[in-house]
Amino acid sequence: MGPVNRIRTKKGSKMDSNKNLLTTIVAADGTVSVAGDIDMAGGPVLEAVLLQCEDQLGNGGNLVVDVEGVQFIDSSGLRSLLAAARRATGRSARLELRAVGPEVIRLFEITGTLDQFNIVSLRD
Amino acid sequence: MTDQLTSIGPVRVELPPLAAMSRVARLTATGVASMAGFNIDEIDDINVIVSEVMVALVEHGAHDTISVTFDVTNGCFTVRGATELEDFDLNHPDLALCRTVLAAVSSSHGIERDGVRAEIWATLQQSQS
Repeated sequence: MGPVNRIRTKKGSKMDSNKNLLTTIVAADGTVSVAGDIDMAGGPVLEAVLLQCEDQLGNGGNLVVDVEGVQFIDSSGLRSLLAAARRATGRSARLELRAVGPEVIRLFEITGTLDQFNIVSLRD
Repeated sequence: MTDQLTSIGPVRVELPPLAAMSRVARLTATGVASMAGFNIDEIDDINVIVSEVMVALVEHGAHDTISVTFDVTNGCFTVRGATELEDFDLNHPDLALCRTVLAAVSSSHGIERDGVRAEIWATLQQSQS
C-alpha cells in the first residue's frame, strides 16, 4: 500500500486530484501542498491550481508550494514549476518551495534551473 | 524466494498518446527492472528515463500509438519508444530539456528519425554491487 494521496483536507481547504496521480491542497493561508507525481499528467493539474492561487494573491504576493509529498518529477513537471516561478517574478513576488526532496533538487541541478527557485526548506 | 533474471524481454507495450500513459510505462519499466535486480536508486533513474521518453513522444509526436519496448541484457536496461511524427523539431526547448535530463540520468541515449517515424532509446547499466 502506498502512502501517496492519503492527505486529509482541513475545513475550508479545497482539494483537487488527478485520478490519484497528483493531489493538491490549498490551505487557508494560501500554501499549496502537493503530493504525488508532477509529470505530464500532473503538471497541468498543478499549474491550474497555481494559476488560481496567483490570481488571488495578486501583485507582490509570494506563492508558497510545499512539495513534501512529491514522489516523482520529470521535465514536464519542471516546466510547470518554472512557469510559476517566472510568473511570480512578473508579479514582483516569489515562488517559495518548501520541504523539497532530493529527487526534485536533483532535477533542478541536472537542468541548471536550481537558481530559478527560492527553496526555503528541504524535506526531512 | 527471488527469481532474479539476468536477461528479460523484450517486453512491448502499445500505448495511446496520452499524458497519463507515462505512468503506465513507468510501472511496466519498474516491474522489468526489479525482476532484473536493479536497486531502488537505479529504478528511480529508470523511471525518469522512461518518463522523458514518453514526454518526447507524447508532446512531439503525431498523436498516434506509442510503442515502447523494455529489455535487460547483461545488466543493461534499455527502453525504446517509437511513434509517428509530423514535425519533430530536435531543437525545440521542451525537447532539449528532455534530452538534457536523459543525458544526465541514462548511460546512453539517442533519437533516431526514419521518415515519418521517430525512435528514442536510452539505457541504464546496472551497478556491480
